[in-house]
Amino acid sequence: MDTNKRMEQFRTMFQRVIDPLGYKFSPDEEIVDFLLEQEVMLEKEKGSPFCPCQGLTGEREHDMKLVCPCIPFHREHYDAMRRCWCGLYVHKDVDDPDELVQISKKEFEASRNKG
Amino acid sequence: MVPWFFAINESELDEGDKKPLLMEGNKILLLRQEGGFYAISNKCPHMECPLSKGDMEGYVIKCPCHDWRFDIRSGEFLDAKEITVPAYETKVDDGKVYVNLER
Amino acid sequence: MKKVVMYTLSTCPWCMRAKTFFREKNILFEYIDYDKADEATRKSILEDCMSHGEKMSFPFVKIGEDVVVGYDPKKYSSLLDK
Repeated sequence: MDTNKRMEQFRTMFQRVIDPLGYKFSPDEEIVDFLLEQEVMLEKEKGSPFCPCQGLTGEREHDMKLVCPCIPFHREHYDAMRRCWCGLYVHKDVDDPDELVQISKKEFEASRNKG
Repeated sequence: MVPWFFAINESELDEGDKKPLLMEGNKILLLRQEGGFYAISNKCPHMECPLSKGDMEGYVIKCPCHDWRFDIRSGEFLDAKEITVPAYETKVDDGKVYVNLER
Repeated sequence: MKKVVMYTLSTCPWCMRAKTFFREKNILFEYIDYDKADEATRKSILEDCMSHGEKMSFPFVKIGEDVVVGYDPKKYSSLLDK
């Protein structure tokens, strides 16, 4: 299938998943296009549109939690960043995604334990 | 419009089994568990994979594509309850199973 | 000069930005694309990330003894200056 067509299908399908979770596609169109294109490639190569910014181990239970949108499996962490790890999605109230920083798993867990 | 549509005869589905049906143009998955009949959309709300090809464990069905798990009674996605696969009411009348396609 | 080593993915735009950051500062760095690496290398990257209490979230940037996970130019700068 044509890459652009598949990217559009991802947009439609994933929008339905992220909306009830309080997320939207990033307003940074360039990043969104790039990431969706990578996901189409990943789907062709590995069978699923995996997160382009997280590593797969080949273990199904681990890897399936990285299929886009992976928000449900990393909810607290992403809510703390107000974006997902790769930045394809942001919280609905975010206008400027550049003001958000990535917080690593270790930093997130440390802040949660303090908090 | 009467929203109840005939699905199958009760005897056509064994305990613990599932059957995909096309009802009024809707892809429906009928399941029988603990004696009860449950009907959900056969399309996973993630990427529209057919849930009929997934494994069942109790009231939980796992999508064959990416392992998303749903409660067949409510349609709720176990990892984020805000996401649901449409679930429909069922009733058994005189050995026949009906599904309410209005939600 | 602190040694800079990073683990990256060829599909990750933040990894590209991290590389650009160091290139623009004329800082030499080594990198390995996890998705293009052989199995033994992949395993060692996984173990290295885990040993720092992290998942394989990329870019994974080592500046001297310190580790920054994610694209964070402010943190990179402060660690380089430290």
